[in-house]
Amino acid sequence: MGRKKKIHLFDVVNYIVFILIGLIIIIPMWKVLVDSFNKVGVYQFQLFPSHPTIDGYKTIIETEALYRPFLNSIITTILGTLLGLVLCTLGGYVLVQFDMPGRNAFAYFLLFTMIFSGGMIPEYLVMRKIGLVNNMWILVIKHGMNVYNLVLMRNFFEGIPGSLYEAAKIDGCSPMGIFFRIVLPLSKAALASIGLMFAVTVWNDYTTVKIYITDPDQVNFQYKLRNMIMDGDTPTTSYQVSQNTLFNAGIIAAILPFMMLYPFLQKYFVKGVNIGAVKE
Amino acid sequence: MSKKNVALTSSGAEIRKKPLSLRIWNNRGYYVMFLPVLIFVLILYYWPMLGVRYAFYEYKPVGTPTFVGLANFEKMFGTNVKAFMTAFTNTLELSIVRLLLTNLSAIIVSLFLNEMGNLFAKKTLQTIIYLPHFMSWAVVASIFSLFLSPSSTGLVNGMLREWGILGDADKNIYFLANSDWWRPIFQGINIWKETGWGTIVFLATLSGVNPELYEAADIDGATRMQKMFYVTLPALGSTIITVLILNLAKVLNMFEPVFVLYNNAVYDVADVISTYTYRQTFAIALPNYGYTTAVGLFRSLVGCVLVLLSNWLSKKVRGRGII
Repeated sequence: MGRKKKIHLFDVVNYIVFILIGLIIIIPMWKVLVDSFNKVGVYQFQLFPSHPTIDGYKTIIETEALYRPFLNSIITTILGTLLGLVLCTLGGYVLVQFDMPGRNAFAYFLLFTMIFSGGMIPEYLVMRKIGLVNNMWILVIKHGMNVYNLVLMRNFFEGIPGSLYEAAKIDGCSPMGIFFRIVLPLSKAALASIGLMFAVTVWNDYTTVKIYITDPDQVNFQYKLRNMIMDGDTPTTSYQVSQNTLFNAGIIAAILPFMMLYPFLQKYFVKGVNIGAVKE
Repeated sequence: MSKKNVALTSSGAEIRKKPLSLRIWNNRGYYVMFLPVLIFVLILYYWPMLGVRYAFYEYKPVGTPTFVGLANFEKMFGTNVKAFMTAFTNTLELSIVRLLLTNLSAIIVSLFLNEMGNLFAKKTLQTIIYLPHFMSWAVVASIFSLFLSPSSTGLVNGMLREWGILGDADKNIYFLANSDWWRPIFQGINIWKETGWGTIVFLATLSGVNPELYEAADIDGATRMQKMFYVTLPALGSTIITVLILNLAKVLNMFEPVFVLYNNAVYDVADVISTYTYRQTFAIALPNYGYTTAVGLFRSLVGCVLVLLSNWLSKKVRGRGII
């Protein structure tokens, strides 16, 4: 009997710890959400807004200065993800062709980039030379080639049984044919996982924009919002809302797209981590 | 993986009898497929590597680069040594402490998650704690800047006033511009953001622990606490070492989290090599690209040593390299 009671105590403690951890994560987000619906700025944590309003969001939606950055974010995220997937599936697939002369050279060619890099400034000078400074395409190009994700993809392809390739080769399938008809259909989960990683990286990028872009027409949504909140680049509003409301509404607008998709995509995110990190 | 290698090397051995030119011709499709990757990697990674030669030049936005020998390095370790070394040691201190703290908290949370019998509660908490990882640093910094702000709407200062710890509104603490507060806050925000994501790797390991170990412990009369310490935690050992080794290679990469949270009042505790490079290039009137390239080269070389060290450790400890 004594033992049973102990287990009970452990479970109680566990539940309490669980709730505490959950609250620590949720409370900051909840405060932002509540404050974004509150007409007045308050410091207190409230469960529900004391002066409910949606004028903060109305202002965000009506601020034309935010349209272009939002569109830029969507375009660069979609194209960056597509380019990223194309390059890392092509490269990853070639790296598992063990009887191809030069395969090792290709692998070392890619891996060397993980050991040594030119650094921020030489990279900037190259990008300036090819016209990617003050150009939102920098987000697509820079994130589109990701050696780490390529290696993840390679690891995944390595798990596809070699006999499948052999059989297709015997049937006279070309490398491209094998790639499109056998490899890609088998890799849907990996494509989803790695595609999401690309999408999150591009959508969330602020630093690249800060370094490379000064033209307000080329910046992305994260950059614009951050400027609005931190540097007082606040939109003018015809509504009676506090600045605090606008800031919080802006934050919610920036995270909303991913928060809406997140519950459906969570398993792919988790799978992506596990393809790479725990191979043994 | 091993099974596949055997199959391929055996077929590879047959193919190797054919002349090289024929093997190349047979694989022509793959070379074409690799071409786009080759072009992108050359432009994005190798071309900038050639640019490190500017570390030995004076290169201003106007005029042509002139060779100056080691002058940039002399500046780095001479007139600018204080700012540079501050940035260098800050990078190491912030990164290593962050690595240890976020992993420690991820391990603790994983242990609790692993003990949770109620599957619904477990899944719910996982969903919640992964969430902050997907928020950009720009957003996370904005959220916490609002909370910690000294203005009337700052949550933390408001609470401190309410509890009587702070007297007047004019005594509000500007946390993020305070050298004593900045580091603890920085680490706290990192823990908040990345703990959940860090648990994924540990939980995957724990799901593979042999249940017989727990049964054996039950027979020996172990309590749940004892099982947690003597079965679960040791099972994580190799994963913990792997995670630490893998991240050792990246300690100099610290940039965005600092970049969005620091300001000119806390350079002494917050400035890292990348933010220093950024400011010396983009925040001054007439930057010398040569000098900041030299700073970057130094960082790359130390980074290179760390990657190789991490690879060597990885081979020693778990039998395969990281690269």
